[in-house]
Amino acid sequence: MDDLEQAILLASDSPAAAAASPAVRAEALAYCARARDETPPSSLLHLCLYGLASSPHAHVHFWCLQTIHDALLLRRRLALPDDLALLRSSLLSLAVSSNAASPPFLRNKLAQLLALLVRFEYPHVYPSYFLDLIPPSPPLPGPTDMFARVLVSLDDDLLSQDYPRNAEEASDAGRVKDAMRAQCVPQIARHWHEAAVSLRAADPAVAAVALDAARRCISWIDVSLVANDVFVPLLFDIALSPGSVAPLAAAAVGCLSAVAAKRMDARAKVALLRSLMSAQKGFGSPDSGLKMAHLVTAYAVEALECYRKLGSSDADGAAALEMLEEVLPAVFAAAESGDDDEVDSGSVLEFLSGYVSTMKAPTEKQLGHLGQILEVVRMQMSYDPVYRGHLDVLDKIGKEEEDLMAEQRKDLIALFRSICRVAPGATQLFIRGLLVTALSSAEVSVEDVEVALTLFYRLGEIVGEEEIRTGAGLIRELVPMLLSARFSCHTHRLVALVYLDTISRYIKFMQENDQYVPHLLTVFLDERGIHHQNAHVSCHAGYLLMRAIRLLKAKLVPYLDTILQSLQDALVQFTATDWANKDIKFSSSEDGSQIFEAVGLLIGIEEVSPDKQVQCLTALLNPLCQQIESLVMDAKAQGLEESSPRAIGLQQIIVALTMISKGFNERLVMGSRPTLGVMFKKTLDVVLQVLISFPNVKPLRSKIISFLHRMVEILGISVLPCIPIALRQLLVDNEAKDMSEFLYLINQIICKFKSSANALLEDVFPAIASHLSVILSHDAFSNGFASNTEEMRELQELEKRFYAFLLHIATHDLSTVLLTPSCRHYLENIMQLLLITSCSHKEISHRKTCVQTFVNLIKDWCSSSEIEDKLPGFRVFMIEKFATGCCLQSVLDKSFNFRDGISIALFGEIMMAQKVMYERFGENFVVNFVTKLREAHCPPDLAEQYYQKLQGNDIKAFKSFYESLVMKIRQQQNGSLVFR
Amino acid sequence: MALPNQQTVDYPSFKLVIVGDGGTGKTTFVKRHLTGEFEKKYEPTIGVEVHPLDFFTNCGKIRFYCWDTAGQEKFGGLRDGYYIHGQCAIIMFDVTSRLTYKNVPTWHRDLCRVCENIPIVLCGNKVDVKNRQVKAKQVTFHRKKNLQYYEVSAKSNYNFEKPFLYLARKLAGDGNLHFVETPALAPPDVTIDLAAQQQHEAELAAAAAQPLPDDDDDLIE
Repeated sequence: MDDLEQAILLASDSPAAAAASPAVRAEALAYCARARDETPPSSLLHLCLYGLASSPHAHVHFWCLQTIHDALLLRRRLALPDDLALLRSSLLSLAVSSNAASPPFLRNKLAQLLALLVRFEYPHVYPSYFLDLIPPSPPLPGPTDMFARVLVSLDDDLLSQDYPRNAEEASDAGRVKDAMRAQCVPQIARHWHEAAVSLRAADPAVAAVALDAARRCISWIDVSLVANDVFVPLLFDIALSPGSVAPLAAAAVGCLSAVAAKRMDARAKVALLRSLMSAQKGFGSPDSGLKMAHLVTAYAVEALECYRKLGSSDADGAAALEMLEEVLPAVFAAAESGDDDEVDSGSVLEFLSGYVSTMKAPTEKQLGHLGQILEVVRMQMSYDPVYRGHLDVLDKIGKEEEDLMAEQRKDLIALFRSICRVAPGATQLFIRGLLVTALSSAEVSVEDVEVALTLFYRLGEIVGEEEIRTGAGLIRELVPMLLSARFSCHTHRLVALVYLDTISRYIKFMQENDQYVPHLLTVFLDERGIHHQNAHVSCHAGYLLMRAIRLLKAKLVPYLDTILQSLQDALVQFTATDWANKDIKFSSSEDGSQIFEAVGLLIGIEEVSPDKQVQCLTALLNPLCQQIESLVMDAKAQGLEESSPRAIGLQQIIVALTMISKGFNERLVMGSRPTLGVMFKKTLDVVLQVLISFPNVKPLRSKIISFLHRMVEILGISVLPCIPIALRQLLVDNEAKDMSEFLYLINQIICKFKSSANALLEDVFPAIASHLSVILSHDAFSNGFASNTEEMRELQELEKRFYAFLLHIATHDLSTVLLTPSCRHYLENIMQLLLITSCSHKEISHRKTCVQTFVNLIKDWCSSSEIEDKLPGFRVFMIEKFATGCCLQSVLDKSFNFRDGISIALFGEIMMAQKVMYERFGENFVVNFVTKLREAHCPPDLAEQYYQKLQGNDIKAFKSFYESLVMKIRQQQNGSLVFR
Repeated sequence: MALPNQQTVDYPSFKLVIVGDGGTGKTTFVKRHLTGEFEKKYEPTIGVEVHPLDFFTNCGKIRFYCWDTAGQEKFGGLRDGYYIHGQCAIIMFDVTSRLTYKNVPTWHRDLCRVCENIPIVLCGNKVDVKNRQVKAKQVTFHRKKNLQYYEVSAKSNYNFEKPFLYLARKLAGDGNLHFVETPALAPPDVTIDLAAQQQHEAELAAAAAQPLPDDDDDLIE
């Protein structure tokens, strides 16, 4: 035993282990394992019992108990009756003599082992386990504690439904419970009562364990053993007495909650709940909510359940509702206490939501309750002032708190929503109260204002657009109140943001009520909005102003000058080159550029007179163009580094120009107000100078591409002459990512100008093709990069854009470009690429794009007479390569999945290709294709049928026939493989 | 506290027990911290490994001695004997495996039997994997037992600090305690799909409002 003891200590976290080397510890561990696994059962039992009796070390005791437990449970050893009898008597005497001072983990381990013996032997082998273990009266702490732990272990390891149990365990559990009910449960209940009475003061920890054991048993014993005139008052007294320590009070509350939650018929439950209510005066008071949060919540949940089951017309149902409402003040107090350890806010909210959902037309009393629930919602949605500073600057802690609150608010908002639906008037009244309070005091806190505004904002989500527009209910009063509001804490980021969002939420009201438009503009333009000291607030205000202008449009024309004047400084600041001052990094799209979009939208409103538009746009564009010119001049002299203030300044200006142009469309600029078109054209020339001078400053180039997209959009065909020079510059130092951006622009031009882009395309196509042949060379995909690298993603993106490019050419009457002498050189490669991709690319959508491209090319290049073909050899290529490779072999391959959506779409295109080939190539196609079918072991009759379906007009029938044909051939090929 | 072959330190240190089924990623998780490097290969922990993990809080440095226990019975060791004197714990399950969640109550029970009243965090690991089997709304165990629950991804470092921060706050009795430096973590192996994760988090929030199921039978297929 001495060696084993030493080994156990070395293997554990005992002080002896600290000094030992890993090798020694590993050896110790192996020694313990051998002792456990290789010692004969009887010897092992004796060894362990000896260890328990003789060793002074808790680790050794634990190991001995664990080893016996394992031997019994896992290995089913110790089967000899004598061994078991010895074990039983030893453990029982250990238990009854145990004192409460030994470490809890040892007492629990002993209890676990006893519970296991009970499971195996009670009552058939040894019926007296509980009679032996129940402490005699008056109960002493040691035996009481031990007995409770045995019951707890029995619950954990056998009886409780909270753990996965197998059939054997379930049947053992039933046997044990039945025997206990018949033999000793009343005696045990009496013991609990005695223990609670006599130990609550003398040893409250032990009294708590005893009551915890009781709580676990209540679900399966006769509930009246606890729910009676003696026990219930005692439990209440313990729960509420100021002298009770927290764990004891919690255990008493746990017992009462278990009584309330006991499963039974609804009417019996109403009676039980009534008895609980009458046992404790002031049961529904706020005070009992604070002290017995679990109980009042469980009680309320049960009462609600009874009410739901029985209905309000039933006397018991009505009584349930009454009891529920009586306990509400306690529930509210619990919910408002904010004590996370004591109150499960999830179940409180669940109950409150359930309660609200039973209401249809709330009574006066219920309206009062709803008001209180709203207050609970408000409190739980409020930020803790501790984080005020963090939330203002939004540092890491602030960000975490904001995320956490966003989570926490989700179900609260759901509850708020349902209250709002049941009692819209009361909700609005509640919010008015909050706003009035917030406005009337100079001392109002950030958190109170924030939550008041948030609730008002949420209200706007719930009431309909129509209600907002017409200012239904209190909205007519609340919105103007908000517009003129200036809170003492308006400088705080949270307050300012939610204030602006709320105003925007109700903007439809201003749309109908012109008189408030000036107020609205003031909000956006003064220090509550764009001129707020916090840059994030200011940018957000710019974004919201832009949206407001989109909505209100003509209503804003009278304020054009005012708005422009107010924005002047913000506009200048955005394009200022002294970026040292702008230390904020904007990760979101709200980077402050939206004020230019806002201004553009404003000037672009058709109701603004042409003169005024010219005047304003000149005032806006000229300084920006001049700024560009002077920056370019400086940069030419001194060079332009990618991240220099000058380069960033240029980027900002070009972004600003792009945003301004969003306010204009082609109809206005090229149609009704051509002067504006001229101005944008001039601006384009200035921007192109940047590109010509500095084609390889990539961040700048990408902003210029965005600008070009806009110019293509608004200047229409007149932009075309400028494009070739731009495109050539864009191809300088062009990598995969740049090429993608470039193709995106080209694709836009093709779609917009169609055949008008012919000359342009002819001009740039060779450059594009040669560039792509380098970037997209086969090697780039096969060796090089793992598939999840940034480079690979860029290449994949480029590939996608390139196939789209070819398809756009084929669908927009531009395919003749491919046949021009300068492009012809690339044609062979492109055809091969299209063929390979359409047959076998792992990206099915690419296959589809290529098949569609081929279909269009056939239509463009081939007529029914071969002599008129525009590209000699194309016909044969399609018949021999494409038809066989794509239309037949690629679908015969098992990897072609007929259950996959994209593959089905591809299959549709493949069928379309066959129809078109038949239409243009006639018998040549059919003869060849049918031959290939036969070679693929297609039965002759089916090949004949194929021909018929191909000729028919029913493409759907053709498609399903071909699918079944493919499946048949696949099966046959399988068979032939077997024979080979 | 005495620990095998590890130097004691002069700042507060706590024994943290990390339990859960084999393969749920306990070892991977603790190895994300500087002390260890993420191993792609799965090597069942033999017995127990103790990792000292230091964190820097606004109240000073603290150390968790993480006892990474073997998930599988067959490797023996001292099993719940290792929990003795544990001061806090993490129970780990794998959101891509229902069985690992189903076994959480058992781990919790065995843990509490040895360590009464210690702060415990439940962690659903591998939330970076697209095909999750335990949806956020099915995770309710922590509500029954008053545990904290976090979704984590050991592979992407997602929420790595959260469990430790919660435990540190509970142990210090200071709800406002926070970490002032990010511990050096191994670089993420995968990037988590934030959109998908937000969806799960939303589900989790919605789940908090749902009633607790009577039992977990709904997890059985």
